[in-house]
Amino acid sequence: MLKVRNLSKVFDKVQAVDDVSFEVNPGEIAVLLGPNGAGKSTTIKSIAGLLRFKGQILINNTDNKSVEAKRAFGYIPETPALYENLTVWEHLEFIARAYSLRDWEETANRLLTRFEMDDKKDKLGKELSKGMQQKVSICCALLIQPKMIMFDEPMIGLDPKAIKELKSVFLELKQAGCAVLISTHIIDSIEEVWDKVLIMNKGRIVLNLTRDELDNKGESLEKIFLEVTDSKGEGEA
Amino acid sequence: MKALLFLIRRNLLNGIKSAFKKPLVLIGYIFILLFIIAFIVASFAMPSGEIRTLPPALFRGIMMLVFTVLYYTSLKLGIEKGSSYFRMSDVNMAFTAPLRPNQILLYGFIKQLGGTLFFILLAFFQIPNLKNNFAFEPHGVIVLLLAVVAYTMAYPLIGMLIYSWTSVSKERKRLAKRIFDRAALAVVLIFLIDLSQTRDFVKSMSHVFDHPVAHYFPIIGWTGSIASAAVAEPDTAFLVGAAGMAVVIFGLSLLIYRMKLDYYEDVLEATEYVEAALKAKREGRNMTFGQKTRKNIRGGLSGKGARALFAKNMMEIRKTSMFLFLDRMSVMVILSSILFKLIMPSEAGLNAFSMFMVLAFSLYMLLLMQAQGRWSVEVEKPYIFLIPASSFEKLFYASLSEHVKNLFDGALLFTLSGIFFGSQVPTVLACILSYVFFGAVFLYAEVLTRRMFGRVHSKGLMIFIKMIFSFLLVVPGIIGSVIAVIATDSEFYMIGAMGAWAFVLAVTLFMFSAGIFNNIESSS
Repeated sequence: MLKVRNLSKVFDKVQAVDDVSFEVNPGEIAVLLGPNGAGKSTTIKSIAGLLRFKGQILINNTDNKSVEAKRAFGYIPETPALYENLTVWEHLEFIARAYSLRDWEETANRLLTRFEMDDKKDKLGKELSKGMQQKVSICCALLIQPKMIMFDEPMIGLDPKAIKELKSVFLELKQAGCAVLISTHIIDSIEEVWDKVLIMNKGRIVLNLTRDELDNKGESLEKIFLEVTDSKGEGEA
Repeated sequence: MKALLFLIRRNLLNGIKSAFKKPLVLIGYIFILLFIIAFIVASFAMPSGEIRTLPPALFRGIMMLVFTVLYYTSLKLGIEKGSSYFRMSDVNMAFTAPLRPNQILLYGFIKQLGGTLFFILLAFFQIPNLKNNFAFEPHGVIVLLLAVVAYTMAYPLIGMLIYSWTSVSKERKRLAKRIFDRAALAVVLIFLIDLSQTRDFVKSMSHVFDHPVAHYFPIIGWTGSIASAAVAEPDTAFLVGAAGMAVVIFGLSLLIYRMKLDYYEDVLEATEYVEAALKAKREGRNMTFGQKTRKNIRGGLSGKGARALFAKNMMEIRKTSMFLFLDRMSVMVILSSILFKLIMPSEAGLNAFSMFMVLAFSLYMLLLMQAQGRWSVEVEKPYIFLIPASSFEKLFYASLSEHVKNLFDGALLFTLSGIFFGSQVPTVLACILSYVFFGAVFLYAEVLTRRMFGRVHSKGLMIFIKMIFSFLLVVPGIIGSVIAVIATDSEFYMIGAMGAWAFVLAVTLFMFSAGIFNNIESSS
């Protein structure tokens, strides 16, 4: 569903992402793990079509910047940013119009109820707390029933109930055949859900591992993460 | 495109609806609306050239200078940060939606037209002043506004085109900046050379900026030529300017709309900058936003209790100033005040009151610039509320650094002006003290406005309320100074009367506003 080939991105002579390649298949939850500044957000923003880059990104076998590709993916940014003067419901209506969705109202209502936002339908974007804005952002991305979805640090600002709900959303998306890519640096938050882990450090993918491969190694994800991202260890190797 | 039009429509309607939810804010908006209508009516209806009729060449010179400065500053910022019509909500939701980049750009452009309104309103505020000094033609106000519209529509398009060319490499960015700076330097040099020959600021301004080359210079000259027709029959320069600008605006719009666009990355960086600037504005840091912080300022903090606030503020000022307390704001106030006096024609009756005129203009600038003092930053953070001291002490020490800075700026401005106009020492001192006291009036009027109205979402409305409030308070001082000058015919007593009133006012306002740091609720 998502194919990233030889992705590189340079900002002012700083190599933010360096020749990164990976794939996320339908019904697979891939996690982009890495310390701060590893290049995770740049990778996600490149896939979302917000940055220019070297390499190739295909979503549903079409170029990621094409209108067809955009119809297929959802994106939840690291920092939610809503329209200050649009109500929660109007945000969903805008998304429904922009993606030419039909009969979206029932799905929208279900999503709002699930994230305990059904009583906030008429609240303006500027009246919501950061956590609530994040919930609206998630609802907007889920409304389009995407074939591929990207979450950039999705748990930040969410309350425990919403975190629990989001984890079950991950699993439901997986069951529905959606390719899920989650970027985070908090290992605990995705421990139970991931199928494939892509560990990034200094712009490169330093480890690409499936859950089965990790089980065979008999080590914890945290231990492996610390080993491969430890700059001292890297220098010695 | 339907989805984007839905966005624009809902944004506008909900913005109006939310104003109705807060009666106090609504009253504020109605007041502003009435004020604007009054200005618009006055702009069209008032007779022109009643006070004096200055030469049209000076008007043309001023227009050319204004548009040169506007284009230079806005396009240079465009090279640095790009120009963005967008907010992060657009980036996150519209850019990632299955919509063509060209449509999104068009949506941004329509939004920008809303911003144009702001510039038009700013222009309206200047029209009565211009009409008093120049003989406007009946179509004068309309062509002046046409020029403002042409500018506000053209500069984002040019900015975006320049940015898309320069964002490719640092070399291009450097080259573009160099071209801009050298062109600006050339204009300044030409002006200075002319000034050395004429030794008359007004004459040189007409020579340099009212030159045929300037009239027909692409974009800047064309815009200036449209505005210049306010004081004359439309001439060839006007027609060339209007046609040129129409071609530029439509041509560039079409070019950008037809191009295979990949501008999201450029806009992303620019939008992040815009968001940071808006956040700074909300927190009252707009005057220091983007300023470099000097790290080599040492010396530690002194004072205990609320006094520590003063020491901290002084250190912050020193870190963001160019030299001692001299910062961007000081330079703007000082230069514009002196420039104002130089541009104003010397008339026999007014020469005796040069210092008063500089003081009046500098106070006007101070009122605009000192839109939000350092205390407003403190209100957004919890520390000041936690300090174990009385609210009086906290407000005094939190605002003391502003008075010290105003003293520094005032001393610099009026010592220079005093030497320039050959004024007496007591007059210079009276000016400096008046400047400091008025600075305090504006500051505590703002604190009191915040106490009375609480946190107003629109900073523009807040500043407007404060300005009206300050103006009404200052009126008795103006009356006092008029009486003083009639009675004594002395500039010193005239300024002294204003200063004394400002002192009384500042102390009174301080007493009423001190409770703001009692708790967070008293400021929100």
